[in-house]
Amino acid sequence: MALSSAFLSQLERIVGPQAVVATHEGRMVYEADMHTFYKGAPDVVVLPETTEQVVLLVRLCRREHVALVPRGSGTGLIGGAMAPVGGVMVSLTRMNRILDLDFANRCATVQPGLINLWLSQATRDAGYYFAPDPSSQMVSSIGGNASTNAGGPHCLKYGITVNHVLGLEVVTGAGEILSVGGKAHDHPGYDLTGALVGGEGTLGLLTAVTVRLLHAPAAVKTLLASFSAIDDASESVSAIVAAGIIPAALEMIDETFVRAINEGVGAGYPKGAGAVLLIELDGPAAEIEAQAERIVRICRDHAALEIRVAQDEAERALLWKGRKEAAGVVGRMSPSWILQDAVVPRSRLPEIMREVQAIGARHRLVIANVFHAGDGNLHPMILYNDLEPGELERAKEANDELLRACLAMGGSVTGEHGVGVDKASSMPLQFGDADLNFMARFRRVFDPDGIMNPGKLLPSHPACGEVFRPSAPRLPAGAWV
Amino acid sequence: MAVSAPALGDAFAAIVGGEHLTTAPSPLAAAAVDGVTPRWLARPGSLDEVSRVLALASAEGLAVAPRGGGSALDLGAPPSRLDAVLDLSRLAGILEYVPADMVTTVQAGVTLDTLGRELGKHGQMLALDPYGGGSRTVGGVLATNASGQRRFRYGTGRDLLLGARFVQADGTVTWGGSKVVKSVTGYDIPKLLTGSLGTLGVIVEATLRLHPVQPASGSWLFSFTSHEAAGSLVAAVLASSLEPERLAWLNAAALEHVGSERAEAALAVSVATVAEAVTSQGALLGLMASRLGARVSALDEGFWTRLGGALAGSTVVKLASEIRRLPFWAGEVERVTARHGLTVSLVGEAGNGILRAAVEGSALPDTWAGEIVGPLREALAAEGGSLAVERAPLYLKSAADVWGPIPESALAVMRRLKAEFDPRGVLNPGRFVGGL
Repeated sequence: MALSSAFLSQLERIVGPQAVVATHEGRMVYEADMHTFYKGAPDVVVLPETTEQVVLLVRLCRREHVALVPRGSGTGLIGGAMAPVGGVMVSLTRMNRILDLDFANRCATVQPGLINLWLSQATRDAGYYFAPDPSSQMVSSIGGNASTNAGGPHCLKYGITVNHVLGLEVVTGAGEILSVGGKAHDHPGYDLTGALVGGEGTLGLLTAVTVRLLHAPAAVKTLLASFSAIDDASESVSAIVAAGIIPAALEMIDETFVRAINEGVGAGYPKGAGAVLLIELDGPAAEIEAQAERIVRICRDHAALEIRVAQDEAERALLWKGRKEAAGVVGRMSPSWILQDAVVPRSRLPEIMREVQAIGARHRLVIANVFHAGDGNLHPMILYNDLEPGELERAKEANDELLRACLAMGGSVTGEHGVGVDKASSMPLQFGDADLNFMARFRRVFDPDGIMNPGKLLPSHPACGEVFRPSAPRLPAGAWV
Repeated sequence: MAVSAPALGDAFAAIVGGEHLTTAPSPLAAAAVDGVTPRWLARPGSLDEVSRVLALASAEGLAVAPRGGGSALDLGAPPSRLDAVLDLSRLAGILEYVPADMVTTVQAGVTLDTLGRELGKHGQMLALDPYGGGSRTVGGVLATNASGQRRFRYGTGRDLLLGARFVQADGTVTWGGSKVVKSVTGYDIPKLLTGSLGTLGVIVEATLRLHPVQPASGSWLFSFTSHEAAGSLVAAVLASSLEPERLAWLNAAALEHVGSERAEAALAVSVATVAEAVTSQGALLGLMASRLGARVSALDEGFWTRLGGALAGSTVVKLASEIRRLPFWAGEVERVTARHGLTVSLVGEAGNGILRAAVEGSALPDTWAGEIVGPLREALAAEGGSLAVERAPLYLKSAADVWGPIPESALAVMRRLKAEFDPRGVLNPGRFVGGL
């Protein structure tokens, strides 16, 4: 799509010339998110600073039938923030202010470009924090988190982003400002706030987000349990949940990752372990003491090799460092990998982990696992070498089998990364025609002309053809999962 | 050409079976919604029957009011049209329940009591505890977004409904969401359905997130001689790392209803966790409350069931305000109603800024609209809050819109949603916000 110079001048009039990126090299910076498999540079990038500018941008694009692609920090893993059909990319990074901190009402209102961690840093001294903690939280934006309905390790106890969004200001695809929800709960009418979160930029652009703040827990306890067999670790996870304990986080790291993390990050995870569980409890001290005792017993009953309890904040940080930077060390193991984000009912965890290993063996590929075990959200990484003929094909087949295995157990296509372009074609595995049709009509209510982030979230959109040329599928070093 | 009424009755009977279709005047009168009597009361026995009933209604341009246990039929404006009541109480099965998943899929007509008994066998619960109790159905609770005191810790229907199978106005069976605790696959359609009063689709099956029943719990009543002191305790608890399960505000009239000792205002608090932490948090709460001059007494678990009795009146309004302003609004509602010789029983979800008032005595329609609902609503709107009339006699419903105004931009989108998914106005026409 080539944009006319008249159109570009109108963009400049709206946001100012310094906030328009139209050069080739400038646009290439925005051609992909963290899923670099999918490339599509926008024709132009604009960086608005106000809601009013966003409204004018949407109205202009609507009038001229030009696609709009919203983008936060670009750390998404689904090809959601790239432009498969070109058009205007709206980078919201300059709208990054905290608009209101209101501790008495336990909430904050922020602009979409605000970095997730900055909010917790700004509220820490007062004793509060923002609970959703995607591994990318030191760089990803709250607008992006809300758009993709991001998760994170602590979602096990506290829920994903939507459970923490109280209100939104949105500029819809129709170019109208919609203000929904807010500090007061239970607004009469449809829960538009809830339905707009996770819209992946296909319904509109978020220009302000009101989020819940939680009070910091009285105490935190972090445990690391190692096992010789992954099966014992999986069974321990199921047993902990079945015992009625919902830890703040319950993460699994398999043998392949334990080795790579120890070498790459120096996290000091037990050498030779077949699997490690990273378990965090938070809450009243007496509560987590009792729960920790019970968890230690469960792990011992499942043949745990060693159980460590972090003795101070530094040890806790080190245990988490390994987990949070896991994706960054994948490069040590393999030049390329495909990442899956499917979910299974948590009781099926031992079964699906055996299946993951069987699929890997069948396709002669290593599948490494580091994931949110407590809620059944898998992140198998299928390692392959794209220089080896046939490996990419085998990896894709393994990926497909894995997804189907999860869905056959009653699972879901994506637990926290979102759909984007990456999983749009997998939607029919989980939803029937009537279900997808309902979603398409829902989308049309907000975006009547189909200009908002075309080609994302729903399958077989006309814009989702072979218009972009995939390069070798891989995630860059430093991606967060 | 429209089919004649007897022929329609035969068609409904052919779908649900003659014994599950009511056409006799007296039971139909009993099924009236806000004085509007339906022509048929149909009790489908399967998802397919719900689908066929709605397909027929849609084809014939009939208006349908879905109903679960019938306990929240007072919610909403009087229907603009009503031909058939769709009673889902026969669809009361628990379809899937794997305790280790902490998820269950149930039919909409199952009651909270029935479900609670089954889940309780496995030490689990559905953390929805609306006033009016366990005879309410899951579908009804979700469609009305009914909540109770446990929302402080566990959230509301929007947080607990993971997936829903629903029937659109034209009879199309549709699924939204997932059956696992964490999923972001596609738009979150269950959120759209929660609290939509069945105006976009009828929930027939719900997949719900469950929680473990905690090994121990304790409840206390902290009674105060002033609103201000009670408000200070709410603020202190919210600013602490205490993690109560419930944080209930009661005024003097509500205390009387639940049989507690008289006080100007009181907070009932429960903590549910391991025994050691119940003791330690209870002690801390007691200390904070005593410093603020509270009289402290222990409560039995039955208190929480009795609490619904404080809101059993024929007129109940729900105020939603900023959390920190709830004590102010509690006082304001008392002042405004007292001016007109009315008393109110107030129960608040103090950690969420939700306050329900059961109005005792009878208000004149003009007073109700012009001097009670109107001014309160206007003042609440200034802080982003709202006032909805949850239950009221028809003459009061006619005097003041039960939902109150919705900002025009949001209402425009809601209208478009309704027009998209129910263009013929089959589902509950006239009962939802803005006359939807």
